[in-house]
Amino acid sequence: MIHDEDILELSEPSLSPSEKLFLPQILGGMVTTIVHMGKSMVGQHRTVQYPEQKRELRLENYRGVHRLNRDEQGRVACVACFMCATACPANCIHIEAGESPWEDREKYPVKFDLDELRCIFCGMCEEACPVDAIELTPHYDLVGRSREEMILDKEELLSVYDETRELKPRKNPHITGYEGTGGRFHANGDKND
Amino acid sequence: MWEFLTSQMGISIVLAAVVFGVMQGVVAYAIYFERKIAAWIQDRCGPNRVGPLGLLQPIADGLKFVFKEDVIPGQVDKILFVLAPTIMFIIAFIGLAAIPWGGQWEVGGKLLNIQVANPDIGLLYLLGVGSMGVYGVVLGGWASNNKYSFFGAIRATAQMLSYEIPMGLCIVIVVLTVGSLRLEDIILPQTQYWFGAIPQWNIFLHPLVFLILFITMLAEANRAPFDLAEAEQELVGGFHTEYSALKFGMFFLGEYAHMITASAFISVMFLGGWHLPWLPWAQPEATSLAAVITKMLILGGKVVGFLFLMMWIRWTLPRFRFDQLMRLAWLGLIPMTLGLFMITVGLLYFGLHRNWVWTCGGDAVILALSLLYVAVSRREITGRSPGAGAIGVGAVAG
Amino acid sequence: MTSETAYLLYFAFALGGAGVYFLLPRGAETRPTVGALFGAGSLIALLLVLSTRVITPDHTTYYFYLFSTLAIASAVRVITHPRPVYSALYFILVVVSVAALLVLLEAEFLAVAAIIVYAGAIMVTYLFVIMLAQQSSTPHYDSRSREPLLAVMIGFILMAAIATRAADITTSHTATNQSRPHAASPVMLVTDSATDESLAGNDKAKPVGNTLLVAASIMTRYVVVLEIAGVLLLVSMVGAIALSRKRVPMEGYRPAVTPLGQIGKEVEPF
Repeated sequence: MIHDEDILELSEPSLSPSEKLFLPQILGGMVTTIVHMGKSMVGQHRTVQYPEQKRELRLENYRGVHRLNRDEQGRVACVACFMCATACPANCIHIEAGESPWEDREKYPVKFDLDELRCIFCGMCEEACPVDAIELTPHYDLVGRSREEMILDKEELLSVYDETRELKPRKNPHITGYEGTGGRFHANGDKND
Repeated sequence: MWEFLTSQMGISIVLAAVVFGVMQGVVAYAIYFERKIAAWIQDRCGPNRVGPLGLLQPIADGLKFVFKEDVIPGQVDKILFVLAPTIMFIIAFIGLAAIPWGGQWEVGGKLLNIQVANPDIGLLYLLGVGSMGVYGVVLGGWASNNKYSFFGAIRATAQMLSYEIPMGLCIVIVVLTVGSLRLEDIILPQTQYWFGAIPQWNIFLHPLVFLILFITMLAEANRAPFDLAEAEQELVGGFHTEYSALKFGMFFLGEYAHMITASAFISVMFLGGWHLPWLPWAQPEATSLAAVITKMLILGGKVVGFLFLMMWIRWTLPRFRFDQLMRLAWLGLIPMTLGLFMITVGLLYFGLHRNWVWTCGGDAVILALSLLYVAVSRREITGRSPGAGAIGVGAVAG
Repeated sequence: MTSETAYLLYFAFALGGAGVYFLLPRGAETRPTVGALFGAGSLIALLLVLSTRVITPDHTTYYFYLFSTLAIASAVRVITHPRPVYSALYFILVVVSVAALLVLLEAEFLAVAAIIVYAGAIMVTYLFVIMLAQQSSTPHYDSRSREPLLAVMIGFILMAAIATRAADITTSHTATNQSRPHAASPVMLVTDSATDESLAGNDKAKPVGNTLLVAASIMTRYVVVLEIAGVLLLVSMVGAIALSRKRVPMEGYRPAVTPLGQIGKEVEPF
């Protein structure tokens, strides 16, 4: 709420005599631009020649294409807890859970579909994931010929992990360990949750 | 054949064809360099994908203009809509006919003018052609039946009418100094020297007139900071909003051809045309073919310099507001040129019109007076008197 | 001028008047085809009149016929076109054609002056006003001419009278010269012999240009007219500048009650 007394009427700044003459200011501006031009001509321009050059991204927090992490044994790290699907504001994650064939967890995702066209790349899924199974990678050049192609399934998301594991190692590989069959998990890494 | 080619008629025809052909290419590459310079000034690197360094970009642009769909909107005045870019294109190019490109060529005992036409009134011819140039813009804007185009046309009309006055007065001052309306005769006095070293170019006689003429040329050519007729932020594209494909291309070519004509004109008027001091081939006595080619290159170099200056200015200065534009013309340039005109007439009476001490002194007096007026006047130069009211309202945080 | 050619001239003007009468816009009653036929007949009759006096046709003769036909046709369209914008454009065409005729007479200065003054300045202003006044539709007062018969009759009778008299003058002129008028003669006619001599003494090597002759005549014989016109133009220019300086306070303007903050000085820019 803006009150009347908060409103301040503004005017243009009054010009000093030398500013009123315009000419010094114009010449100053032209010197500025010619300096920039000279720098650009010798190659100091800011353009990134995209397909050949790529920008250096901050790997730890750039939010690009998603990946599903694998644990140490190469299995999908996801435990199908639906936390990411619940947290997702764009409703782009679709999980079908099944009984886990492995000893250390109850469930695992039979299907894990992620619609990259619906996704708004907010990173909430990554925040929500209790086992750090879903992460966003610095990959931003995702293309496809159809809308169906842009819905990544589990295998595709896992292959994104295979491609990017050297670039961006998994944050905390120790977190997925289950102990016993109690259905409870606990963190034995340094993650505080 | 050689007989014909070495007659004045033959030279004129060949030169007309050459100038027209070369100008098409020069205009295309002027657009390329405009983009390059814009990019460099803005820390980018500009078109560099088509061909080495992007040098084939103009050809790609031209092909795009040719192959795009030529839309004629439904509610336009079809005849004038098609006529307008044609007028713009033709007017921009016929001005080049009177430019003296290369002095004189002596062949077979005859002296031939390297000029398409050498009329007695070359200067007035250029002025007349330039004054017709506004029709392309006006008709294009009106025929489009589009409010933005129409505003562009109205702005262009008012602007060109206003800036023609100081331009005409500047030209009159040069004519008084030189004493001829023939462009070749305007160059000849400029090839003499002061103290045997400094060429008597008119720019050294009347620097202020040169500056004002350059400003009015920018305005006449619709170049920034005077490009209000096509102000993108306000009028979409101004008078060429509704144009597409080849017709848009013709407007584009016309604008750049106008720039080239204006540059060549101001080079002849103030920078001695094809003259360059102390280069034997660039003197009026040199009439060999090599001298002619050298002179053409020199004038071409001056034109390129002016084109660069225009582009540099365009990518440096913000656009004028319309009332500022009008104030600059009517309250700034016209009184200044009137004062300069009177001083020149007075100097002419005393025979001092070619004495640089007196002419530069006159220029300095006029400049000092106008600057003094601007500096001490209480009125804001932006057109707002102090405390005249709010331009915007901002909420103060905290 | 023989009486036959005079009658032919009157006949041409009668035909022309009829043509213009039919061409004048009167809604559905306009007969453009009939008018064009009459106009063409009038032009042919004029051609016959002129053919009695052209001595040796050279290439400029054809340009003369081309541009004079263009000028007459455009002039007719100026008054018969229902849309004012087109009328203005046709007037520009008239000016350009007349300028071409002046160039044929080697009066380049007058030609370019006509283009600069009429086509370059005055018609731009006219066009400006016309375009502001009406955008697309043609109102009835533009699409119907008032009193077409009376206007055509008065105009063409006047024109016939002037043309007959002018034809007499040119007849006597060509009779004395026995050839096509000399290049610069239209201007030479108004030049004093005294100025001729002073010009000849000025610079013998250079050809005396048409501009110089015009300048010499207006600076000697017509200097008072020039001065008066100059003062008039100066007064109008000063008036225009004075008008543009006048500031009209805006109605309902409320002055700021608080001192204004200045962007960039007291307040951070947005």
